[in-house]
Amino acid sequence: MGDPPGQVSIVRVGDIAALVSEVATDRPLGEPADLDAHANILDTTAAEMPVLPMRFGAVVESRDAVAEELLREHHDEFTAALRELNGKAEYVVKGRYRQDVILREVLAESDDAAQLREAVATKPDEAARNDRIALGELVYNGIAAKRAADTERMVSELESLGVKIAALDPTHDEDAVHVACLANRSAQSELENTVGRLADEWDGRVSLRLLGPLAPYEFVVTAGQE
Amino acid sequence: MTTAVQPAGGGGAAGHPSSSGLAADPDTILDKGLVIDAYVRVSLVGIELLTIDARVVVASVDTYLRFAEAVNRLELSDTEKQGLPDLIEDVQSGGAKSKTKGALEAAGDKVRDVLGDGQERQPADDRREDDRR
Repeated sequence: MGDPPGQVSIVRVGDIAALVSEVATDRPLGEPADLDAHANILDTTAAEMPVLPMRFGAVVESRDAVAEELLREHHDEFTAALRELNGKAEYVVKGRYRQDVILREVLAESDDAAQLREAVATKPDEAARNDRIALGELVYNGIAAKRAADTERMVSELESLGVKIAALDPTHDEDAVHVACLANRSAQSELENTVGRLADEWDGRVSLRLLGPLAPYEFVVTAGQE
Repeated sequence: MTTAVQPAGGGGAAGHPSSSGLAADPDTILDKGLVIDAYVRVSLVGIELLTIDARVVVASVDTYLRFAEAVNRLELSDTEKQGLPDLIEDVQSGGAKSKTKGALEAAGDKVRDVLGDGQERQPADDRREDDRR
């Protein structure tokens, strides 16, 4: 964190440890580089050993406070959660539709679309505004339905691997799938094969990315936090 | 307080979305992770400095018009494939200008796809204004 970046050090209590760095109080915290550093440390760690991500921007008063208020006070539950995470990491599958392909798909499957396109093409611009809105809405809803179906497909493929799954909100209108799973790192190649199979099947239609191993951002919750 | 290893949001199935998590998309990490009572006192300082374009997908008239425009571009690119006779006809009916625009926009979309950002709304809107004239 910071500029120059603070050194990451380790605070140990019993079987667990916290990765910490000092933050200067005379500069703003929470710039993009800080978030990158936060994610980098977590993801790098997650690739090697179980780690519980703390929320970005979490600051305590001192190293002693880290040891006492954070680690000692929560030692048993952290240990239990880390044990559950042992050998596992989060992987995120993100897919984006190819716009022209998904548009053609949606348009071809709708009887109303042709009518609306005709109206948009023939009426003057201003008069066709409502038709344009209706056509756009039809396409939007069509893509949403495709997303739901393709997400369900991806989830069921992943479920067959026996991994924990969290379906995530789309981050873009043309997102096809956005799913996180908690998988054994030793089973990463199975995961890659499964996602790869769907990537082949959807080739030219959806560009799929598999990200990971990541820290289990989606899979740790503090009870009562939600 | 207990720390549970489970999908944030509590659901494991599609239809129980929470938000996402990966370094490339800051909005996915920002509100993630454990919150511990102890650091409520001092914590989470200055996060508002990271202005996040929280790309929650909310349907709006603007969204719909953008998709209608995308369909329109699709038609233009289809027309182009039909070859020279159609092209000449379009020039005569004054369609050449918008056809060129369509091609340029399509190229722009490709570049943006490669870059992988989602910031295309603004330029697209600007062009739409131009098209009306």
